[in-house]
Amino acid sequence: MNIRRFILLLTASTFLTGVSHAADPIKVGLSGPFTGGSSSMGVSMRDGVKLAVDEINKAGGVLGRPIQLVERDDEAKNEVGVQVAQELINKEQVVATLGFINTGVSLASQRFYQEAEIPVFNNVSTGSVITKQFLPPDHKNNYIFRNGANDTIQSAMIVEEAIGRQGFKKPAILSDSTNYGQLGRADIETALAAKGVKPVAVEKFNVKDTDMTAQILRAKEAGADVILTYAIGPELAQIANGMAKLGWKVPLIGSWTLSMASYIDTAGVNGEGALMPQTFIQVPNTPKRASFISAYQKMFNVDRMPSPVSAAQGYDSVYLLVAAIKQAGSTKGPKIREALENLNEKVEGVVTIYDKPFSPTDHEAISGNIPVFGIVKGGKVIPAHPEDIAGDKAVRIKPKA
Amino acid sequence: MQNFFQALVSGAAVGMIYAVIAFGYQLTFATSKTLNFGQGEALMLGGLVGLTVSSYTGYWIMLPIVMAFGLLQGSVVELLGVRQAIKIKSEAGWIMATIALGIIFLNLAENIWGRDDLKFPSPLSEQPLSFKGVNILPMEVLVVIGAVLLMIAVEVFNRKSIYGKAVVATSNDRDAAGLMGINTSAIITFSYALSSMAAAFAGVLVAPVTLTGATMGSALGLKAFAVAIIGGLSSGMGVIVGGLLLGVIETMTGLYFSTGYKDVPGLILLLLVLSFKPSGLFGKSTIKKV
Repeated sequence: MNIRRFILLLTASTFLTGVSHAADPIKVGLSGPFTGGSSSMGVSMRDGVKLAVDEINKAGGVLGRPIQLVERDDEAKNEVGVQVAQELINKEQVVATLGFINTGVSLASQRFYQEAEIPVFNNVSTGSVITKQFLPPDHKNNYIFRNGANDTIQSAMIVEEAIGRQGFKKPAILSDSTNYGQLGRADIETALAAKGVKPVAVEKFNVKDTDMTAQILRAKEAGADVILTYAIGPELAQIANGMAKLGWKVPLIGSWTLSMASYIDTAGVNGEGALMPQTFIQVPNTPKRASFISAYQKMFNVDRMPSPVSAAQGYDSVYLLVAAIKQAGSTKGPKIREALENLNEKVEGVVTIYDKPFSPTDHEAISGNIPVFGIVKGGKVIPAHPEDIAGDKAVRIKPKA
Repeated sequence: MQNFFQALVSGAAVGMIYAVIAFGYQLTFATSKTLNFGQGEALMLGGLVGLTVSSYTGYWIMLPIVMAFGLLQGSVVELLGVRQAIKIKSEAGWIMATIALGIIFLNLAENIWGRDDLKFPSPLSEQPLSFKGVNILPMEVLVVIGAVLLMIAVEVFNRKSIYGKAVVATSNDRDAAGLMGINTSAIITFSYALSSMAAAFAGVLVAPVTLTGATMGSALGLKAFAVAIIGGLSSGMGVIVGGLLLGVIETMTGLYFSTGYKDVPGLILLLLVLSFKPSGLFGKSTIKKV
């Protein structure tokens, strides 16, 4: 009797969940630093994601179900990122996770998704190794995807701009002592070597260093005609301010972090003219970009996006994921991964038009031809070479493999 | 040669920042033989409170307000963290208590001012002054002058005023001072208040040169501690020489050796001082009776 009732209940409950499942929202995880030093990037990324999810839900969702975001602050700390990953996978049972600003957090968290066979979209982290941790044939399938410009692409662009386009001969490299700075410095040195150029000075500093006199004097002493940087906002501002103090000015060309609000605002006039690779600049030069910028400004009530690159890449990552879920007709991790690796639909994003962006062996949606250089002018980032994005070059598409 | 003098000047400016924070360590050590390990956080709170206040009053009127805030904050640290430990003659209780209070202040600041570094508007021109090709920011000159003035003011106070003499008496022999009718525990509270005031003052001095944020004090507090050890915890001259020494050595190592090893020689100096002259370069060696 008791057992029979139990079985009845069990069947009933299975039936009930089965029914409610169809109207259930699809849970998507969102992990990023929404407080702390990287928060301007994290918050912009989150807002880009929210905007896209809002648009999709208004248009009826995907597979007839709305998308529900599960946001968690990883505080840019590796150990918090790991906790967030475990919570999203085991407790919230998300179908995929978007986010990560910091390479360290990506590397620490993503192996849990890989083990659980849940796709992860790195929409901002730049470390070159991120998408290569679980490559076949060592691993059966790779669940790590990215739609941002990695450090290999950025460092090659920095060197091409400084040596190739602007014709500087004696670069000095200034980088911070973190993983980000030192991996980036190694990438820049490799890219310089490919051009047969040796940096005249390679200098290091710690995060929170307040006096850059020694580093700048060494670069000056070595006769540097350009400074290439790999560091984050506050210390980059100290470099710009330090050069102004010493009355020595050469151009600053560096990774995309030169577009951080903490660099632009704290360096002020001293920071003008810095050049950095950008996948997106807040310029409405296509209808898609114009509608994205005005929708973002309206929804979050801002004029200048804190980090336009993060916002645009966050926005695009949602549309890529949704296209894959639609094609897979399922929310199962392996199915979504398969769909991503062979995406039939052309996805029109803010950064580019994604035409088969991924393959089983290539999980990078952004190729070296997509980013362009931005320049700091009047307290914001504008295109450094307007001709690069003029006319039919406005949308730059990844070449077919 | 021009670079040499430039590094010398920049190193000296950084060194004076270390010195004024190290001076705060000395003040409490003199009276109570304890240190406030939250000195870096006291500096940070000074900087952030100064940033908020100066947006209403301007830079110069803000200075006394921030110093008053420092006095208050230091008293709180002593009353909550140190007094109990001294009362029960705990050897290490005050270490944990001051570190814990430091962390609490850090979290408090993160919640009030956020975790981003903020720009502190400079009260002086941001155009460098140039002497024969050696450049220095007007604000850096102000840091040096301000630090020296503060130290002189505290010294004059200690030597000339009756309250200052009570502080000196407590430093020399706490028990004897107590027997002479000096309220030594109030003197110790006062020394903590003075110490945090020095740190808060240092905070608003350096903020326009560095950046202002919840974590601005952590690295500076540690460097200043090294300076206090190198110079000696009982010598006012010691912290100035120690600070200048560390600041200049750092910049010179960066310039002539390698920027990657900038911090190493200063720490080697610290180790050497600890092994050969543990009371510091200028410290009086004390014999501890047990």
